[in-house]
Amino acid sequence: MGNVPGKLENEGVARPNRSMSASAAQTPSGRNGTTTAGARSQRTSSLVGTLLSSRRRSSSSEVNGNGNPYKRKSTKDKEKMEERHVKQLIVKYNETVDGGFLAPFGSCGTDKLDYDAKVVKNLIMERRLAPFYTPLQDFDDSWSREEVIKIIEALPLHAPFNENLETFEDVPIGDLSQNDIDHLIDKTLSRREQRRMRSKIFKARLYKKRIIWQERENERFFESKIEGKQSKLQSNPNLPSDDLKYAMYSSGAECPICFLYYPQPINMSRCCLQPICSECFVQIKRAEPHFPHDEEDPSNPQDEEKDPNMLTSEPTNCPYCATPDFGITYEAPADRKVGLQGLAPSSYVYHKKDSPEQDSVPRTPDRRGSLASTDQRVVTSDSLRPDWQVKLNKERMRLARRSANATAIHVSNQLVTPGHQASAGVTSTSAPRSNSNDNAVEFQHSSPTPLWPANATAAEIENHMIEQAIKLSLAEHERENSPKKR
Amino acid sequence: MASLPKRIIKETERLVSDPVPGITAQPHEDNLRYFQVTIEGPQQSPYESGVFQLELFLPDDYPMEAPKVRFLTKIYHPNIDRLGRICLDVLKTNWSPALQIRTVLLSVQALLASPNPNDPLANDVAEDWIRNEDAAIAKAREWTQLYAK
Ligand SMILES: [Zn+2]
Ligand SMILES: [Zn+2]
Repeated sequence: MGNVPGKLENEGVARPNRSMSASAAQTPSGRNGTTTAGARSQRTSSLVGTLLSSRRRSSSSEVNGNGNPYKRKSTKDKEKMEERHVKQLIVKYNETVDGGFLAPFGSCGTDKLDYDAKVVKNLIMERRLAPFYTPLQDFDDSWSREEVIKIIEALPLHAPFNENLETFEDVPIGDLSQNDIDHLIDKTLSRREQRRMRSKIFKARLYKKRIIWQERENERFFESKIEGKQSKLQSNPNLPSDDLKYAMYSSGAECPICFLYYPQPINMSRCCLQPICSECFVQIKRAEPHFPHDEEDPSNPQDEEKDPNMLTSEPTNCPYCATPDFGITYEAPADRKVGLQGLAPSSYVYHKKDSPEQDSVPRTPDRRGSLASTDQRVVTSDSLRPDWQVKLNKERMRLARRSANATAIHVSNQLVTPGHQASAGVTSTSAPRSNSNDNAVEFQHSSPTPLWPANATAAEIENHMIEQAIKLSLAEHERENSPKKR
Repeated sequence: MASLPKRIIKETERLVSDPVPGITAQPHEDNLRYFQVTIEGPQQSPYESGVFQLELFLPDDYPMEAPKVRFLTKIYHPNIDRLGRICLDVLKTNWSPALQIRTVLLSVQALLASPNPNDPLANDVAEDWIRNEDAAIAKAREWTQLYAK
């Protein structure tokens, strides 16, 4: 899993491909039910084509790994995934790298940290991304060594949290040790409102749980510190020595984005060599999928009327120089390799360097020039959220489904209700009649043997189409791969 | 509300201790993310000698998300609409978390100095501007006298 980001970068999960629809328009056209519905359904079917081609492009690891990422997950599965993600954002005091941690302090809140926690943890352990250090609000050069150590000693693992959030004030959270929350939902509400209530209860519970998990970890941290103080011989090897605390914080730097003070070395932008802390870096991500030039022209047509294939999301830009495809490099401190895959943090001894020339520890030369986003040393924004392509396709599907819905309503008005059908032929708004090639007529011919049950909703039909497309593509994928594998 | 991030505190301090010429920004007592802003119209622009009131709000996601800025004073400008909304790239797609309140307000001031009718937000104003620039400038000057005193 460790080199997944690099792999994704190199093999390219592909940039948003604006010409997708061109290759995708070749869906089976014999299906009268869908061809007649006009431009909208063409978009829908071309979207299926998009999915087919994107499935073909995606790497086999994705297919074998978590199964089909396009498959709809149940609410419970989604909740489980979210809870697992939040758990991974809890700082563990005994999982350290070079004096920092694998999870963020949470200066800007943690509910928006939606990066892939597994990927980030691995990058930190590989020393390709700076660990999440505990920041200082300020640093004063006049502080003595003892003062610095004292201040670092008192730092908590997590940023303080608001215990009682207003938004969750009246939400029943029940017994947090029980996983089932069905009984908390007011069954007299409509289905949609029940769903909304469930999501609110889930969020409120997760918020509380997060605070509990953080406090538990904080307590462990402080307890082990106290134990270490009481019996000097048996101090916890995961806790930093005083030398380490001082070495880290006495020569730190301010991150130009959050203005917080962090130990050095810090991540450097690949393009213009500007510093950025890890907590800021993981927050920089692609904008939500949008249509090109949405911003410039507020008098745009409705989303439903646009081609879902046009939906794009551009790679992030460097915040400092606007170079596209933002990425960073990190050069771990060679003389401070402690924690995971290093020495015990408690055993670290500070070697004072009198001058750079006398530096006994050979250090890799610092980078001077800029690097390409494909360089092996570079960690890009995209690599922290390897599912961005899936997200984009899902959003395209959602839009397509919406326009398919509109199409279905249109079609069913003409087709399903016989009375309506008859009158539709008479009113001037309907298509010209009496031509045997006319779409409406063709549609009527096919209606006695519909491909779907008459009461199927457009969403169901669309889902079915997409399922079929994915099945086809998976089968194709297996056919393509099996001879190579053996 | 959660405690104010260090960045917002420091930016506010610097805005007060080292103000930008022609620009003031004062945080609201009750909400330190909400600023009352004034911008002086740049010299040799139709907005010269006017003082424009704006509001600036730092959303929860700031600085990952751009500040929200709006003119409160009525202004005749092709890139500012009737509701005071501003069409400025750094407030939208070209926002970067390395930019600050200070840089944003300087950009707004620069927009007053050089209106861009080819990328309009207020279409009617932009049309006037392209059709008859002198008349449009005269009207902008008139509105400055009327509303931005
Ligand atoms: Zn930062
Ligand atoms: Zn750069």
